[in-house]
Amino acid sequence: MRELTEEVGVSRAVFLKWPMGHPIGEPNFPRGQRVVIERAFDALKKIEEPGTIIDLPFRWKRRGDFEVG
Amino acid sequence: MSFKDRLMAKIFTAIPSLGRRAAKSILSTGEGIDMKREIPWKPFTKDIKDARVALVTTSGVHLSGDTPFDMVDPNGDPTFRVISNESDIKDLTITHDYYDHSDADKDMNIVFPLERLREMVAEGALGSLAKEHYGLMGHLKEGHVETLINETAPEIARRLIADNVDCVLLTPG
Repeated sequence: MRELTEEVGVSRAVFLKWPMGHPIGEPNFPRGQRVVIERAFDALKKIEEPGTIIDLPFRWKRRGDFEVG
Repeated sequence: MSFKDRLMAKIFTAIPSLGRRAAKSILSTGEGIDMKREIPWKPFTKDIKDARVALVTTSGVHLSGDTPFDMVDPNGDPTFRVISNESDIKDLTITHDYYDHSDADKDMNIVFPLERLREMVAEGALGSLAKEHYGLMGHLKEGHVETLINETAPEIARRLIADNVDCVLLTPG
């Protein structure tokens, strides 16, 4: 939940408005999982201000979103 | 673990706005979290292709042969489980009744993406994986929050430092 991440104060985070229990994505969709993980690692350098949360543009169960990013 | 908690987990998964409202109410009552703490920060200077990476998840993942997390204590279980990097993902299970993990039971990578990270190391996209990864369950209340902050998290951090880990991918349940 975004609010929890904000309140707890995480150094760097990426957020997806997806159902709980699916932080990396859909089961048996390795391509989408991989993109989310890569974006999380990108945030290591992209985020320069402690506590920044990057909202990723992928919508739940819209596999086409992963093909353009 | 009560029927009520199980039901609430299903409802919060299906209707996230209700879950967010519940989270706000937990936060507004404090629950032992000191909100004034400074956010920890260390610049990341390494190239990710050379970095040593560990997974830490609060989604209740542990090896099937290990002691499950305590589902009887209504305040949760603040301990952690070690998951060796050599583990077969098929030997992992989830003990966490406070969210619906039926999809993760089908493919553990959606909460604990060990196979994806292995592929990235094999392709040269990551340097290496840590000797150990860590599983916790993210439903903690009352004194267990302090135990997490003062004992469990520092112990995990010590082990990560001893293994020369450069960065950690944290995943919630």
